[in-house]
Order: sequence, then structure tokens, then C-alpha cells
Amino acid sequence: MTTVTTPLDAGPIIETHGLTKIYRVYQKQEGLLGAIRGLFRRRYREVRAVDGISFRIEPGEIVGFLGPNGAGKTTTLKMLSGLIYPTSGTARVLGFVPWERANAFRRQLALVMGQKNQLWWDLPAADSFALHRAIYSLPLDQFEQTLDELTELFGVAHLLRQPVRELSLGERMKMELIAALLHQPRLLLLDEPTIGLDVVAQVSIRRCLREYNRRRGVTILLTSHYMKDVEALCERVMVIRHGQLIYDGPLAGIIEQFSQSKLVKLQLAEEADPVPFRRYGEVVHADGPLIELRVERQRLPEVLAAILDHHRVLDLNVQDPPLEQVIARVFEEPLAAHETDSQLTPV
Amino acid sequence: MKPTLSSLPFEQADCSDDSGSVWPRASFLLEAGKYGRILRIALVERLAYRLDFILSTLLRFLPMLTTILLWLAVYAGAGRLSEGELGGFSLNEMISYLLLVHISRMFSSMPGLAQGIARDIRDGNLKKYLLQPISLLPYLLAYRAAHKVAYITMTAVPYAVLFFLCRDFFAGWPSAPVLLAYAVSLVLGFLVGFFFEAALGMLGFWFLEVSSFLYVVGTLNFFLSGHMFPFDLLPATFAHILKNLPFQYLAYFPAAIFLNKVPQDMLFSALATEAAWAIALALLAGWLYRCGLRRYSAYGG
Amino acid sequence: MRALLHYARVWLAFARFGLMRELSFRGNFLIKVSVEILWLAILLIFYDMVFTHTRVVAEWSRDEYLFFVGCYYALGGVIETFFLINCSEFSELVRTGDLDFYLLLPANEQFLITTRDLDWATLPNIFLGAGVSIVALVRLGWPVELGRLLLFLILFGCGVALAYSFLVILTAASVWLVRNQSLYEVWWLFTTFMRYPREIFTGRWAYPIGWFFSFVVPVIIVTNVPARMMVKALEPELAVYTVLASVVLVAISGKIFRLSLQHYRSASS
Repeated sequence: MTTVTTPLDAGPIIETHGLTKIYRVYQKQEGLLGAIRGLFRRRYREVRAVDGISFRIEPGEIVGFLGPNGAGKTTTLKMLSGLIYPTSGTARVLGFVPWERANAFRRQLALVMGQKNQLWWDLPAADSFALHRAIYSLPLDQFEQTLDELTELFGVAHLLRQPVRELSLGERMKMELIAALLHQPRLLLLDEPTIGLDVVAQVSIRRCLREYNRRRGVTILLTSHYMKDVEALCERVMVIRHGQLIYDGPLAGIIEQFSQSKLVKLQLAEEADPVPFRRYGEVVHADGPLIELRVERQRLPEVLAAILDHHRVLDLNVQDPPLEQVIARVFEEPLAAHETDSQLTPV
Repeated sequence: MKPTLSSLPFEQADCSDDSGSVWPRASFLLEAGKYGRILRIALVERLAYRLDFILSTLLRFLPMLTTILLWLAVYAGAGRLSEGELGGFSLNEMISYLLLVHISRMFSSMPGLAQGIARDIRDGNLKKYLLQPISLLPYLLAYRAAHKVAYITMTAVPYAVLFFLCRDFFAGWPSAPVLLAYAVSLVLGFLVGFFFEAALGMLGFWFLEVSSFLYVVGTLNFFLSGHMFPFDLLPATFAHILKNLPFQYLAYFPAAIFLNKVPQDMLFSALATEAAWAIALALLAGWLYRCGLRRYSAYGG
Repeated sequence: MRALLHYARVWLAFARFGLMRELSFRGNFLIKVSVEILWLAILLIFYDMVFTHTRVVAEWSRDEYLFFVGCYYALGGVIETFFLINCSEFSELVRTGDLDFYLLLPANEQFLITTRDLDWATLPNIFLGAGVSIVALVRLGWPVELGRLLLFLILFGCGVALAYSFLVILTAASVWLVRNQSLYEVWWLFTTFMRYPREIFTGRWAYPIGWFFSFVVPVIIVTNVPARMMVKALEPELAVYTVLASVVLVAISGKIFRLSLQHYRSASS
């Protein structure tokens, strides 16, 4: 099993500069006068779905795109795959300009969207794969070899002849991924691949993707709002919020950058009233002798000293808050004044 | 290339949603505000709705143009353009007939009725009829009747315009008794259409996939109801058979009454026969319903 | 050439899987075919009935008209079998966003979208229509002229191309239109113009309409020209016009389709 060699240009597989996508959202006006006025001149509001994103991804990386709903993850992915024209900015993917959608470009790319089905519903997955083979003009022996490898990896060989509509969600997703990988793309874009799946399926798919990346060196860019996806697969994470890239680096660095607090877990000698602890920080959890506090990092030393001074502590533990919490708080940051809702309607 | 089963679009009760904007003025203007809202709805939303509706109706009338032209050509080819008749229909009567058939169909078409019943059966929505003291058929009948009233009111204007434009084809209004008989035949046609489609829908108790069968029936109906052309143009035996089937009441019969094709002394008995058919079909639908429901509940719903 | 072979192979795959899917709903398939045959029967009964009352309709004799009917039915069969369902599902693809998948595949989008499914139930229509036309030719005592047959087939192909182009334009329009009138219904209305000989458009009002729909929006010529080619004397200018019109319309419809995809792409998020 050879790894995919990057041809002539051994440069980054994705490179973007200032990628921006702005939508106009027409605003319905109130009242009768407004409705009439609306017939002649329409007022619109600009929504910056993607706002000046720049990054580079090297071949073979698995990168996670993290962000709340409406942050611009899917829009970015669609621009990288050529589905959407950007408003401004540039991007080069696999050496091509994506939105020109050259056939050679589309042959090396695959996009899989969670909860969306591109396989034929009534037919067995095997037939959809055969159709793929015809469309991508894959030689038969190469196709069969790839198919065997993939079905063995994902463990779905016994389901090939079952109509897709009879498969479970997790099995369907695996089939979708196989369909995406049949033509051995160099770049795999995944949009919320594990959404709606049960835990077992999620774990299994992550494992398979990791393995496939190891074997074939396929570059993977996935968006998710499940931390587990990102933790399991990605060494590098890009965080997007309100269309802007606010972090690009290793996973561990997120806590460094975004978390201003630490979690202090106390086990006191006897039951205590949590109220006095409020001056140290936020009481996250209080259960008899066990108290959990969220304390600002700068205040940590003095808070610890004060607690030890004033209370009898049997056990004390200082932790980083879970990644999920950190991210969640980052996402909750209030919106800028000009963006009041994230609902986009087609222009 | 077959005619689609759906009848004219917008065959639904008009229930626009009042999303209600807050009138940002002092409370004594609230009354005025309410009227302002109603006005807004009436003007802006209904206008768009109406335009759409007019467009759809216009598109609906388009096939009439080619149909009329075809029959002109047929009569011309037979040398009966200015006088003479085919199957007892002069050219004008033929075109009047084709226009009148639209009116008959307005009353007798039941889009989605059979499919809806079959779907409710399949989806298990009939449980409530097992438990509650309401029966499906009277409920559906009332519902359809209300719809029809709304629908006919809405389409009255475009049709009036169409008939006005084509008034030269008509020999004027029929006499009062004939007109009355015509009205009665239309109402009875509504009942015949309803119970026929309802009975078809009841087949859903015994067959899983009824829609394709309904499609066959719909296609046949186009011919058997006289929608395509009056039976009188067919050879006598066929015409005779078709005039004794209930399908004629869906299109042919009312139009024939209006055009004075039914002798005045036979009007009453003809209408009585139509009423008898309506009753028979109602009984059939009811019986199928009860049998089906028994079978349905036997399977645990 | 390689590209052509590639598309042929893809299309064959579409055909094969369309058939398999259709056959998996066997009962339904048989009923659909019965409905088509029933409809042809009704058309023929109508035609037969008309000609018991008259010997000529709009300058077409009984057997000439029969040929016309067969032609119309076969042409309708071609459009319904290969293109109609695909086009009618297009607005659903746009609505759900599943159109994206077709935009990602390395092949021409219009080809993929308009040919991806085959309605095998209407395929017999092509043969039935051809059969009816052959019967008509036999009754006309038509001398076998290969040249004429070839010209007929070319013009029939042009008719198909014209009808296809109109279908594509209607389909593309669903990207812009807010209200979605079922494509089937609009298409059915369209075909009312294809259904009858051009000569019925005589008279003060009808003639301009007939002219408009023959030369500005060339719908009427779709069936008329090939049929006339075969059983009547065809003016060569009309044949040339048909060929030109079909080329132009295929190009225009392709452009409009591309524009609709662009609009979809700029509006989606």
C-alpha cells in the first residue's frame, strides 16, 4: 500500500489568503408603507459569513475546523471545494483555483457532508459505487482493490448488497465515506461527519479515518462541533468564530490561549456552606464536603492560599477546565454590533 | 403525456396567516392599527397570491385554445363549419360543450381525496375514528363541500371572463327549468364524484399501494366521463353504454343538460337516476369503510 | 472522442441502475406501463372517432394524421423516458442542497442532472409510437425512400433537441422562481402545442399565434416538421430552419442552465 505521493508541486495542499464571503440579506419592512416601499427599493443587511480567512495546510495533515453554528465552517469548506464563489480573497487547492471547478481538480477532491446522502437510496451501496467508478473512469482492477481495502477497513463488506435505505445511520455514513474515497482523492473534506451518529459509530469512524490517513497520506480537513472528533483525529485545530479565524495551532494550545480560569476541586473535612466560597470564584458544583470552583488564573495563588488558610482541606486538585467548556465559552462571546442574526436566506 | 390528475391549482381553502406586526403607536390608534393590518394583508399579500393564481389559471386555459382550434379544423374538414353537426353537436355546441365540461369538473373533481384516504389508512391515522364518535365519510364530505364552495367562489371570476370571451359559441341561456336541472346535476355530480373517489380510497384497506391504480382510473376517467369529447360522437352502442355508466355525471351529463341535449320530459327521470347513482355509491363507500375498519381493527391498528 | 465514450459509459450505468431500481418495484412498473398503453389507446380511439366523421383534419388525411400521432407519441416517449423525471426533481435538489453533490463530480453538470435517471416505464412509448407510425406508412403505401427516412430521423432528432432545450430552460427557471409549480404540469401545457398539426392555426387570431410558436418559440415545429418530412411535401426552408433552431436553442438552454447553477452557487451558504 503506497502512500499518495504529491506530484510536481510539493507545496501546501491548501492555501488561502483573505478568503471572504459576504451575503446580502434582504430585510422585510414593517407595515403597509414599508411593504409598498419594499417593492421599489429593498433594504439589505450584510452578513460576513467568512471574513478574511488565511491559512495553509500541508499534505498529509489532519486539521480540525472548530466553531459554533453559523461561524462559517461549512461556507469555508464549500469555497474550498469550489461550490461557492468567494466575495474576495484567494485560495489554491491542490494547485487549482477551486471555484473554476476543473475536472482534474474535482477528481482529486472529495467532500462528505454529515446527514446528507449522495448514495442512491433504493439500491445497494455496491451499485452506487459502480456508478462512481463509471463517472470517475476508474480502471476495474484498481477500483476493486480500493473497494476491498475500504470495506475491510470500515468493516462493512457484508452490507454491500443491502439497499442503502435499510442501513443504520452509522453504516450509511461509512458507505458515504467509502464512496468519497473510491477515487483516491488527495484531499478529503468532511463537514460534521459524525453528527447524529451513536457513540460506537462515531468512535469507529474516527478510527478508520485516522488509519486511512496513516496508510494513504490523504489530507483531511474536517469541521465539527464535537470536541471528541477533534481530539481523536486532529493535531492541529483552527477555531472560527463569526467568520474569522481566531486560533490556528495545536489542540493543547487552545486552553493556554482561551482559558482564563482553572478548576479547583476541594474535598473539605466537613460539610460546608458553599456561599462563602463565592468570593474566590464561581461555585461550579457543591455537594456536601466536595466543592468545585472556577477560579481566574491570575488569582489562583492567592485563592489557594486563602482557602488553605481558612478551611480544613483534605484534598485539593487544580485542573484545566475541559476543552469543551473552554471552547463553548469562546463561542458564546457576544456578537459584534452589526451582526444580529445568523439566518441566511438565498439572495 | 397524460393529463395530470390534480385539478386546478389553489383548490384549497384560503387561509392566509396573519403574522401580525405590532403597530408602534399610541393605544388609541390600536383600532386603526388593526384595520391597517387588514389592509396590508389585503393589498400586498393577496395581490401576490392573486397574481400567481391568475397566472396559473391562464396557463390552465391555454389547452382550451388548441382544443378549440382542433375542433374547428375537424368541422372544417367535414364541411360542417358554418352549419351541420357531428354526432348531433354543431360546431358551436361542441365548443360550448368543451367549455362547460370544465364547470362540471369544477364540481366533481376530488383531487387528493382517494390518495389521502389511502395514506391515512396506511399511516395508521384512522385510530381516532375507532375511538371517537365521528365517522370518516360525513367529516370528509363536509370538508370537501366547504372547500368546493371556497374554490368555486375564487375561480368564478376567471371563468366568467373566459365564458364572456367565448360567448359567441353559446346559443344563449337555457330555459329556467333546464337551468335548475343543470344546477341540480352539478350538485349531484359533486356527490357522485365524492363517493366514487372515497370508495376508491377505501381500497387502501386491502391493498398497500393504491396510487398507481388510482392513476389508471384517473386516466380512464378522462375518457369515460366525457371530458375528452361528448359520447354522441362514438358509434351508437358505445355511446349507449357510456351514457349508462355513472362516470358521465362527472363531466358529460351536466353539460348535456345545459345544451338541451336531454329532452325536457326526461329531465326529471335522468336526474333521479343520477341521484340513485349518488346514493348507491354512498352506500358502497360506507360499506367498504365499515368492512375495512373491521379488518383494520382486527389487526390491532 | 474519449470524452464521448466516457459519457456513453456513464449513461449506460445510469440506465442499468435505473432499470434495477424500477424492477425492484415490479408491480408498480407494470401498472405504469399499463397506464401508458391505456393512454395511447384513448388517443387512438379519439383519432379513430374523429375520422369516422371527417376525411381530413387541417389538411392531414386520415393516415397522415395517424403518422403524426405516432410521431408525437414516440417523441413524447423519448423526452419522458430520458429527461422528464430528472428535470422535475431538479427543484428538489436545489431546495435540499443535494445539487452540491452533482457539482462536485468530474463531469458536465447538465449531462449528469438531466440524464441521471431513466423512466423505463415510458420507454415502450417510443416503440409503440414508432409502431403506430409504421402502420400509418404502410396504409399510405409509402415507398421506402432511405434518403427521406434519414432526413426524417435527423429532423426527429432536432425535434427532440428542441423539446429538450425547452425542458432545460423550464428546469433552470426553478432556481429563480419562488413558487414551484410542478414541472410536469407546465411541461404538459407545453406539449399541447406539439400535439396538433400546424395547420389548425388558421384564422385571424390563430394564425399569428401559430406563427409565434413556430418561429419565435419553436414548439409547434417539434413534431410537425419531421412528420411533414415523411408524409407530406416539406419546404426545405422549414427543414433548415428547424436544424438551425435546434442548434441555437441547445446552446441558449445550456447557457441558461449554467447561469442557474451560478446563481445557485452564489446564493447557497
